[in-house]
Amino acid sequence: MDEKKEFTPSIIYGLCSWCGTGGSETAGAMHLQYADNIRPFRVPCTGAIDPVYILRALIEGADGFAVSGCHPGDCHFDSGNYRARRRMAVLKTLLETFGLDSERVWLRWVGHGEGKRFADTANEFNDHIKKMGKNPLAQRRDT
Amino acid sequence: MQTLIDSRMTMPDFIAALFDKLDLAGVAAMTKLPSGEKAAYTLLTDKDDIEDCVPYFPAMPANAARAVSKFTRQAPPSKQVAVFLRPCELRALTELVKIKQAAVDNLLIIGFDCAGVFPFSKIRLSDELKLKEYREAVAKGKNCEGIRPVCSACTRFVPEGADIAISFIGRNLDEPLVLSFPSEKGKEAAKTLGLDSSSKVEASPAVDSLAEERGGAEKKLTEKIEEALSGTDGLISVFDKCISCHACSHVCPICYCKNCYFESQTFEYFPESYFTRMREKGALRLPVDRVLFHLGRLSHMGLSCVACGMCEDACPVNIPVSQIFKTAGAKAQALFGYIPGKNRDEPLPLLTFSERELEEFED
Repeated sequence: MDEKKEFTPSIIYGLCSWCGTGGSETAGAMHLQYADNIRPFRVPCTGAIDPVYILRALIEGADGFAVSGCHPGDCHFDSGNYRARRRMAVLKTLLETFGLDSERVWLRWVGHGEGKRFADTANEFNDHIKKMGKNPLAQRRDT
Repeated sequence: MQTLIDSRMTMPDFIAALFDKLDLAGVAAMTKLPSGEKAAYTLLTDKDDIEDCVPYFPAMPANAARAVSKFTRQAPPSKQVAVFLRPCELRALTELVKIKQAAVDNLLIIGFDCAGVFPFSKIRLSDELKLKEYREAVAKGKNCEGIRPVCSACTRFVPEGADIAISFIGRNLDEPLVLSFPSEKGKEAAKTLGLDSSSKVEASPAVDSLAEERGGAEKKLTEKIEEALSGTDGLISVFDKCISCHACSHVCPICYCKNCYFESQTFEYFPESYFTRMREKGALRLPVDRVLFHLGRLSHMGLSCVACGMCEDACPVNIPVSQIFKTAGAKAQALFGYIPGKNRDEPLPLLTFSERELEEFED
């Protein structure tokens, strides 16, 4: 049996209270489906996501971590998403430096009204992580 | 390039002149301890104590920026204090000023070229042989055997942002000091000290030769660390020895948080949490969160890391922490073209942004 086919990744989806969550609500209103192994994680703003949250998820068992929030210029707090972008850039660079998969972390803007974009992102990320397979860091018991 | 002048004063003369001519509250510099074996960063207020002053002593028991932060954090000193700082200590101070943990008002910052320091446990004041080797290496502009690994790969060994800069690479330590005055405050102090620019001195070629040697060493260090850390296995094997003492963050000049996130209640789990995690993975190594601590700390302060090497010096299990932080920090800093400790007025990268940037990191 092909092991990868059976693999259901564990995915955390960080969503800001305004646009990211709003996108998921719109997707719900439109009756759009997305993979049920994706666990939404609501934060006040993408700028409030400390890279430590993502690292911790990746070390403790998540196979992927996606982040969605307001498009640049739309942040409820004016500039939180710009900070998020800088932090994500730093995090991805650090992961890259250590030879870890920076591809397990995604940042994609989803507006409040973009229900389709939300569901598509969730499914696309799910497929992407399925293709990548299990996160080796999460398998380790000696971290 | 700053104009270098011959001050016609040796180090003790210079410190005495600081006391005599400038109205100082004190001088902060490395000073011999009564035991006669070690030195510590000390605030001296009495001119009679200056014979114990050894600003060049190649050791860094603590990054002096932390000490300066202690006495300037709430308010600048009411009377001027002259502080001797190594270039990396000065860079750390600059970063601390940006996060409002130190003030440079009423400080007269005296920086000097740094030929590196030895690990603190490896150097004694009575170790004539080692100190002689060090002096020779300084005069020749070469790396001295045995200095901290990050020191031997440090290319920023000339002070940036000092009021008075002492040029000493390629020179004899007992000779009169060769000075330059990069700031207005420094120029004013020079006038008060009665120093004129009449006797100019050439820059020593040893500075360039040391920069070249260090540049090569830096490249090698980066390659070595990247190779050792590559992938999950490499990362975990490097941090395998970590005993979670957090000494690296306690001595770090940049880690200023009074309540460190990694020592907060967040990491005081309920007992049940351990069993849940254990069941998930089949076993759980204790103490937990070692890799998370290092990667997390790196993501918090890596952008400001000045590569002073304190963390590695304090590590009881010899993890090359500062080499790792220097390597990874430089990668993160390069994203924003940010050079920590370069310019007091440049904002920290995470406190600023531009609307169109880093779009390659969006997916």
